[in-house]
Amino acid sequence: MESPGLLYVAATFLPLASFLLLLLGGGLRAAAKPVRDTPLGGSIFRGLGGDAPIKTGAYIATGAIGLAFVLSLIGFILFKQDHPHEAVEHTAPHQEAVEHAAGADVVQDWRLSPLSLADPSRWSVSVDWASLNMGSRPATTLSLGYHIDSLTTVMFLMVSFIATLIHVFSIGYMGDELQPTVEDHQVHTVDGHLRRRGRFGRFFLFLSLFCFSMLNLILADNLFQVFLSWELVGICSYLLVGFYYERRSASNAAIKAFVTNRVGDAGFIIGLLILWTYVGTLNFEDLFRKIRLPENDIANVATASSLRHRIVRAAVVPGEAPSRDGQKLQISAGGDQVVLFPEYSRHSEEVRKALDTGIVDAKFAPRTGQLGSMPYWVLVVAGLGIFLGCVGKSAQFPLHVWLPDAMEGPTPVSALIHAATMVAAGVYLVGRCFPLFTPEARLVIAYTGGITLFMAATIAIVQTDIKKVLAYSTVSQLGYMMLALGVGGWIAGLFHLITHAFFKALLFLGSGSVIYGCHHEQDMTKMGGLYPKMKVTAITMLVGMLTIAGIPLFSGWYSKDAILAQALGFVQEYPKHILLFLLPLLTAGITAFYMFRLWLLTFAGKPRDEHVYEHAHESPRTMTVPLIILAVFSVAVAWGWPLYDAEASVLNSTIEQSEPLSAKIEFATVHAFAHGSHALAGNLALGLVLVALIFASLIYHSRVLDPEEAKQQFPGIHRFLWNKWYVDELYSAIIVRPALTVAHWCRKFDTRVIDGTVDATARGVVQLSRWDGRFDLGIIDGLVNLTARVVFAVGGRLRTVQTGYLRSYILFLVLAAIGIFAVLSYFVAFVRAG
Amino acid sequence: MMPEVGLQSYLLLGALLFVCGAVCMAMKRNAIGVLMGVELVLNGANVNFVAFARFNSTFEIEGQIFALFVIVMAAAEAAIALAIVLNFYNNHMTVDVDTAEELKG
Repeated sequence: MESPGLLYVAATFLPLASFLLLLLGGGLRAAAKPVRDTPLGGSIFRGLGGDAPIKTGAYIATGAIGLAFVLSLIGFILFKQDHPHEAVEHTAPHQEAVEHAAGADVVQDWRLSPLSLADPSRWSVSVDWASLNMGSRPATTLSLGYHIDSLTTVMFLMVSFIATLIHVFSIGYMGDELQPTVEDHQVHTVDGHLRRRGRFGRFFLFLSLFCFSMLNLILADNLFQVFLSWELVGICSYLLVGFYYERRSASNAAIKAFVTNRVGDAGFIIGLLILWTYVGTLNFEDLFRKIRLPENDIANVATASSLRHRIVRAAVVPGEAPSRDGQKLQISAGGDQVVLFPEYSRHSEEVRKALDTGIVDAKFAPRTGQLGSMPYWVLVVAGLGIFLGCVGKSAQFPLHVWLPDAMEGPTPVSALIHAATMVAAGVYLVGRCFPLFTPEARLVIAYTGGITLFMAATIAIVQTDIKKVLAYSTVSQLGYMMLALGVGGWIAGLFHLITHAFFKALLFLGSGSVIYGCHHEQDMTKMGGLYPKMKVTAITMLVGMLTIAGIPLFSGWYSKDAILAQALGFVQEYPKHILLFLLPLLTAGITAFYMFRLWLLTFAGKPRDEHVYEHAHESPRTMTVPLIILAVFSVAVAWGWPLYDAEASVLNSTIEQSEPLSAKIEFATVHAFAHGSHALAGNLALGLVLVALIFASLIYHSRVLDPEEAKQQFPGIHRFLWNKWYVDELYSAIIVRPALTVAHWCRKFDTRVIDGTVDATARGVVQLSRWDGRFDLGIIDGLVNLTARVVFAVGGRLRTVQTGYLRSYILFLVLAAIGIFAVLSYFVAFVRAG
Repeated sequence: MMPEVGLQSYLLLGALLFVCGAVCMAMKRNAIGVLMGVELVLNGANVNFVAFARFNSTFEIEGQIFALFVIVMAAAEAAIALAIVLNFYNNHMTVDVDTAEELKG
């Protein structure tokens, strides 16, 4: 196949096609509704479902995403053939780094994936989408394109696979929405509950759009395209969380999710603009090539080998004032400038010279082959900005508040968006942009992850809503991934991302099955003893629970141990950051505790609510089959040979192929430490997990300890956790309420001042025109009428002169003649007299 | 010897005729009488024209020509006026000019 990357493009556009088809169908149905009495309109209307929604849309959407999965599977196999996996076996990351340091250098491919032996054009294409003609400025083109590396292939497989299962699950779960009228018991109107048309098709419409956006996000080879998909994903989340938008809580949750994400996106935009302005490109590879010292330029330059794949900092040479088009810099470790390398620098003399002498001739608007520079702190801000976007999307502290509320959406949505895929986008992007992050930014990432994972896990202990527990568990697990990335565990973080996607989708779908079986009861205090009634759900959820707890040989064990080992390695190198190891270690125990609590409260013990128990039933097969498949994958997705070795699995090695060299090199010693202490970290965590499991079963199963008693003994802690660390209250106090107050002021200003001015003007104009009317009627019209009346009266008087008597006329005639004669005579006499 | 008859005498005659005509026009209710008054006025004017033609050599020809014109015009005027009077009579069965008051304002 000439360019197998197109397989992925096709897989991306399939859900979009399904979305457009469903949109067209729905639009046609709505358009045909008013004319359904005519033969044509009627047949269109009934053909597209009539009053009740039809299942065709669901089949189209499921088929599209299923086909996308098949395509990405084929793509994965082709990719594996193109990129055989051998080099990694004998060079573990740290060894390789050591070899490089010794100068045993080969000119490697400068591409993002270090081992891409294949022709790169087979797997990545970029086309210009919009060009700004701005002369010599570097950043003038926005491009769209795809770049397939091993991370993309794995993410594609994961997203399309889980999405397919969730589509199938939804066909069963959303069955209620197939009726012509659905009664929503949670919305009260004047005459009872709200009644509306079923929204089966709309649900799959949104799911399709979501799948397209998510796949496009993974496919993208530049930050601009990522940002587009990022926003599309955000709007899909908004639409799906607010799916039952008549419910006030759902619409509020949707708005909260959207607004919270917007806060993060503001940071993302800032990061994008900084990179666009200073580096001049948004393409991932170009960005990395410009910011990190490229591989090929350091051959034969011994002084520079310690700088390879690092951010090269430099200081302004003292006494050398910057000229109009550039400045002279001296390479130094603590300099306040960052050297930007040329995009295509394979044989750049400039770079070689700069590295030889240590003096960089940095241009402000570098042309091809020239060096540039940007302030170091700006790069830090750019990294933090991009990370802030990821914080929003991946629900990290302090922007985690939207995710638990987002559980208002239908459960398959919670599983797809808020557990497996969308929230993974943030982690994915941090991984993708890893070379852009400076050490400071990475430390922020690590601590954000550390705080988040601990905080969310503690909150999850006391929640009683089954979906809320899972939501906080998701937040906590995402914190693990962020922490892993922050401490340089690039593979560990993304490895956990994939395994987590499987077991969290399993847990969410399991909870969906429980909720469905209990007729939309989500409160765990009303469940209990459901095991005999829903065996498949109970067992698959137990598998998910053991996976997330990190029981050996379940997939979660491999990834979580990798993270803990990485954290321990990091702490060994930087002992003052010991919290970064203690928090995840402790949280490993907490995780096991709250997950086992969830399972025991739901399935074990005696039924606590007879009504719920009586009506509970196992879910239909469209729902249990995805559960079983996901359970199998949750267990086995990280298996390799030998079984106990996390790095032996195909998944791990595939992800490793994409690991940026900068991560390998900068964290070489951390990796080495982590490798050495892997067993120690794992055993510590396992011990804690076992203790937590025993503790949980003592409390919630054999009832040796009473949870109520514990609650009463530590009322402060319980209240603190029950109220989720008061973060919502804090935001309400410092952001929401002030904003509302300001809004109230603005409204008052509006109604009083603005409206008052407008009203007063209007009243003034009315008054003025009233006066003007009076003037018009009284004076102008009066004058005209007076003239008319005078003329009329004069005429009336004068008409009597016309007597009609001929003799009187003659009399007047004669008298007038005499008069004229007399006057004339007088004048003549006067003239004569001179 | 007969005393020389001067211009003044002619003008007095003309004036007398004019006044008689005018009074006749003003006093008579009979339309024919009014017409007669008109003739008197015209002839009074004619006497003046002719007298000026005799006594003022500047107007020797003009005075006489004007007198002729007036005579011709009087004839035409009489013809038209009589026709009007006849029609008036046909309509009102009288020639009393006081009954012709439809034109009053």
